[in-house]
Amino acid sequence: MTEETANKETFESFKNSFFYGSRTNLNFKFLEHLPEDEADLFFQGLLKHLGEAYDGADYSHVTAYIIEWQIKGYDKPKGFAYETGPFQALAKPVAESRLGLLTSSGHFVKGEDPEPLGVKNMTQDEATRRVFDFLKEEPQLSSIPIDIPPELMHVRHGGYDICGSERDFNSTLPIQRLRELEKEGAIGELVSPVYSFVGACSQKRLLTKTGPRWIALLQEQNFDAMLLVPV
Amino acid sequence: MLEDVGIPTVIVAVQAFRRRLETMSVPRALLTPHLMGRPIGRPGDREQQRMVIQAALKLLETADQGGTLIDFKA
Repeated sequence: MTEETANKETFESFKNSFFYGSRTNLNFKFLEHLPEDEADLFFQGLLKHLGEAYDGADYSHVTAYIIEWQIKGYDKPKGFAYETGPFQALAKPVAESRLGLLTSSGHFVKGEDPEPLGVKNMTQDEATRRVFDFLKEEPQLSSIPIDIPPELMHVRHGGYDICGSERDFNSTLPIQRLRELEKEGAIGELVSPVYSFVGACSQKRLLTKTGPRWIALLQEQNFDAMLLVPV
Repeated sequence: MLEDVGIPTVIVAVQAFRRRLETMSVPRALLTPHLMGRPIGRPGDREQQRMVIQAALKLLETADQGGTLIDFKA
C-alpha cells in the first residue's frame, strides 16, 4: 500500500465526518446513522435536487428531500424505552388553562448565561466541539420572561443547527405565537417565565437527579398543562 | 414525569423524532414535517408556526389516551 493510498479518505469516514468530525454540520449529522449505500443514495439525490433547483425559484423540494432523509437517519429506537407511559387528561379547556412552555432549545437571556462546563461566554463553535462533554453533564434550566425583548434572547446548543433559532426563536421557543393566542383568548394564560435547557446533556442525570428537582419547581407554578418542545 | 404529578403535556417535535417518542411512550405528541432544529416551523413563518401551536393545543384537549402521536398537516 502506498502512502497516498493509505491516506485516502474512505466514503464511510467522509459521511461520518459531518457528525462531529472534520466537516461537522449539524444539519447533516444524520449521515452518520446511514449505511454507506444509503448515504450514497442521499448524496446522489441531493445533487439531483440541487440541479433541478438551478432554473426555478422554488427550493422547497430540496428542503423536503433533506427532511425525508433526516427521518430515515433517525428511524431507530434510541434512549429510554417504556412499554406504557403516564397520561393525565386536561382538567379544563385550554382557553381557561395556565399553560407553561419548556424546550430543549438552549435559549437563555443575555446576561444570564448558564456558563456550561464552567466556561464564560462559550461560543456556539465551542459548544459543538465539546458536545460529548455536555453529554456527561447535568443540564441547567434557564428562565425566560415572556415579555423578553427579542434582542436579549440568546441561544447556544452543540447538538443542533441553531441558525433557525437565531433567526426566529419562535421556531423552537414559540413565546410570541403563544402570547398572540393568549391575547385572542385561545389560551387562558401563558405562564411567565418559560424554560429552556440544552437537551444535549446526561440523560441519566436528567432522569434521576435534575428532572425531579425541575418537577418540584414547576409544581409550584400551578400549571394546568405544559407545551414541551424537544429540539 | 410531569404527567405523574398531574400536569398534562403535549410535545411538538419534528417527524424525525417519531421512533424515539414512540419508544418512550410519551402521552401526546404532534409531529411536524419540518427540518430538524425548527419543530414549530420555518423562521419568520408566523402563520405556519401559529397553525402548529393551534394543532398542539387541540391535541392537548382531545387526546384520550397515552401514546397519541399525530402528524401535523397544514
